[in-house]
Amino acid sequence: MRRTGTSVDPLWYKDAVIYEVPVKSFCDGNADGIGDFQGLYEKLDYLQSLSVTCLWLLPFFPSPLRDDGYDIADYTSVHPSYGTLADFKRFLEAAHARGLRVIVELVLNHTSDQHPWFQRARSSPPGSPERNFYVWNDTDDRHKEARIIFVDSERSNWTWDDVAKAYYWHRFFHHQPDLNFDSPEVVRELLKVLDFWLDLGVDGFRLDAVPYLIERDGTNCENLPETHAIIKAVRAHVNKRPSPPLLLAEANQPPADVRAYFGEGDGDECHMAYHFPVMPRIFMSLHLEDREPIVDVMERTPPIPESCQWAMFLRNHDELTLEMVTEDERDYMYLAYSMDPQGRINVGIRRRLAPLVGNSRPRIELLNALLFSLPGTPILYYGDEIGMGDNLYLGDRNGVRTPMQWTGDRNAGFSKANPAGLYSPVIDDPVYGYPAVNVESQEADNASLLHWTRNMIRLRQHFKVFGRGSIDFLRPTNTKVLVFIRKFEDDVILCVANLSRTAQPVELDLRAYAGATPVETLGYTEFPRIGELPYFLTLGPYGVYWFELQRPHD
Amino acid sequence: MTETPVAAGVDLVVALTSYNDVKSIGAVARAVRDGVARAFASRPVRYVLADTGSTDGTREAMREIVGAEALVEVAYERGPQLGELPYHGLQGRAAALRAIMQTAHGLGARATVVLDAGLQGVRPEWIDQLLTPVLAGEFDYVSPYYERRVNEGAITKGIVYPMARALYGVRLRQPAGTEFACSGRLIDHYLQQSFWDAEHASVGIDLWLALAAAAGEYRTCEAMLGARGGSSRVAPSDPSTTLAQVVGALFVDVEHNVDAWQRARRSHAVPVFGDVADPGPGSPIEVDGLLESFRLGYRELREIWTWALPPRTIVELRKMTEAGSDRFRFDDRLWASIVYDFALGHFLRVMPRDHLLRSLTPLYTGWLASFVLQMRDASHAEVEARVEQLCVAFEAEKRHLISRWRWPERLRR
Repeated sequence: MRRTGTSVDPLWYKDAVIYEVPVKSFCDGNADGIGDFQGLYEKLDYLQSLSVTCLWLLPFFPSPLRDDGYDIADYTSVHPSYGTLADFKRFLEAAHARGLRVIVELVLNHTSDQHPWFQRARSSPPGSPERNFYVWNDTDDRHKEARIIFVDSERSNWTWDDVAKAYYWHRFFHHQPDLNFDSPEVVRELLKVLDFWLDLGVDGFRLDAVPYLIERDGTNCENLPETHAIIKAVRAHVNKRPSPPLLLAEANQPPADVRAYFGEGDGDECHMAYHFPVMPRIFMSLHLEDREPIVDVMERTPPIPESCQWAMFLRNHDELTLEMVTEDERDYMYLAYSMDPQGRINVGIRRRLAPLVGNSRPRIELLNALLFSLPGTPILYYGDEIGMGDNLYLGDRNGVRTPMQWTGDRNAGFSKANPAGLYSPVIDDPVYGYPAVNVESQEADNASLLHWTRNMIRLRQHFKVFGRGSIDFLRPTNTKVLVFIRKFEDDVILCVANLSRTAQPVELDLRAYAGATPVETLGYTEFPRIGELPYFLTLGPYGVYWFELQRPHD
Repeated sequence: MTETPVAAGVDLVVALTSYNDVKSIGAVARAVRDGVARAFASRPVRYVLADTGSTDGTREAMREIVGAEALVEVAYERGPQLGELPYHGLQGRAAALRAIMQTAHGLGARATVVLDAGLQGVRPEWIDQLLTPVLAGEFDYVSPYYERRVNEGAITKGIVYPMARALYGVRLRQPAGTEFACSGRLIDHYLQQSFWDAEHASVGIDLWLALAAAAGEYRTCEAMLGARGGSSRVAPSDPSTTLAQVVGALFVDVEHNVDAWQRARRSHAVPVFGDVADPGPGSPIEVDGLLESFRLGYRELREIWTWALPPRTIVELRKMTEAGSDRFRFDDRLWASIVYDFALGHFLRVMPRDHLLRSLTPLYTGWLASFVLQMRDASHAEVEARVEQLCVAFEAEKRHLISRWRWPERLRR
């Protein structure tokens, strides 16, 4: 029985299972149609029983909500729709009491145009410290090499401001002006924001849009050395704490560029960063019924410092981004997963996990098994544990941000408000609708996806090797079968996954483990001992095995 | 709680827990004082008394015997007097032990021994037997090993020892002993644990300390202390309460140490210091009453059992109720699987935990009847051999528990 909540292991994030939760969408505690901290507090027992260990909260700060809260108007408060700071504290304390850690968003790159800093800047004289909180220019032709990220809605990274009589810089929506990180005052103010939340007890920050902090002429304004210097300053600042918080970088970049966000030496920038390229390739492998896309991207993944970790995910609150694949691969993905153009947005596909794979339970299980067994810390998106669907008719990415489906009752048990007053309609179609897909019914069904997910999370947590171990791919003749070995200290786990819809045989060269007995971890079933001959296995459609290779005298 | 003393180069801490023990503490204090004088006269030692507000002169008696200058007195909160009296009879025991450990930690003690002032059979040689393995630097936890007759310590023989051994891989025969010794290294580990404030800590703390040593791969051994003797404490007379408390504490630990026990393979013996003596036959046990309790339990509690036990087990139990007393036998693997299924039901909270634990009582009496029937006129060695056989069954069934724990399927809803 170890300490919970405040565990002293500084590498806790390596063994974590993170659950991404938008406060707005999870549970409405005050019946106003919008999820809030009171509702989230009431659902902590559910999250604890799911056995996730860390909650990542999407932005919950005061905001005009033109980008779902990523347009922050006040960094140190709670949006009134979600409750009060006191509600947040109560939630945080209760989460810690259950052994759940909590990380929050820190949108460094930009604010809302409603933020007092921006309002002050636009009316301050050019060159003043207040004005310099943001990036201004007299024309809109500077930094032309920088790409436009939201290609569906923005035509330029500059927008004219009539009050300031100047253009301001923004890498995302035009209502999200970029902060000027060349200003020491900006850095100082954001460090104060970090301290504010750390003093309340949060366990870490997801640093949103980190590659874009600094702009320089003649560059694409991404991943610049000066940007890394800012991240290093943030890390050095939080490292002064007795238990430094987790810093998770959102850098949608090729692995080699993301690698830089871990920093130098044993890591002096972020502890974790998303592995963006692996996610679309997992989906590609599934559709191609071929392991190569996964093996290829994993083998091209650069090594990272010992204390650092990849964040792995299948789906999240954004589109399934295809920025990190080749053009051919992008075409393939659109053809395979989004023939309906309505499912596409920006450079990606705005769908949840279950609809992406045709609501196929074996495919969902296979993908999650890969998520849980490949190197890194898995991040689950709320609702995917019950196979929630999406709503393509809602704008932007709102179709994957609908209310959590708790029961088959009114409003899916999410809220007691008038259904017309919900922030978003609940999913109500015949396949994914809340009468068919909800927590309550899946709790009552031993064979449900919810039970399966919970069991797999718990199983993963028995073996530190999944969060901390090395990976070696085997290359059996049958390329429909993905095989890899994870090792950490004395533990050796053999993972075998059939990526195809039909049963597959596979012969494995396991001579290096001759004498060991593979024990299938879920059922704790011993398989025949490994000898010198090829080890033969048969896998059912989309079948997955995790074998613990037990040495004879372990 | 008093402030933790500053480290003062102390080798040994001899700690007593007490509450209104004036009748027994004199003998206990003299025994430990003499034991220290005999075995560790040259070592710096401090006595620690964790007393929870005795009003009968207990503390004064202790001071008088060991000397005020060698004594550290720590007060602790007993906590609210909710629920039943713990089986060991001392409310707030977890707080007492924590206060002792914090004191020992503050003193920098290399070895600490804990005894209860209510115990009537403490002998000076216990100090040597419990502390020497730690001071020699070879062990971190020394568990007591008392001489017990067939019918004594039956919950330990039939459930706690076999299950703890199978799960954690360490063969501590009496792992819930209130007398034990531990190293400074292990105390550091204990003080990092969360169990001190956990629900039911007052009942489970002794077992949790032993299992934390086993699960943490600390070096453990046993010290043969002879007969334990009686205690002045008033313990619950209801066997069902004692069973629920002891087994409940074990199940709680199992739930919280999943990583440790699911990874442990096979069990290993631990060294025993001292000679194992045959305590001789105990008083005869009335088996018919036990069997009647079992059969009545089957009739009355069968419905409840179906929440935790699979149909195959229920059928086996029905067949057993039909067996005559002379042929009544509880198969070891069946018993092991029942205990494991109850542990799983406890984990899954298939019903209020206390109800589940109390419904185990008739099954336990059935097992005890079978055990006693088989062990009539048996020697100590034969009893030990029989318990060993039972442990092997628990080890064999462990796979079944792991499998069901990892892929739990509720039997009823």
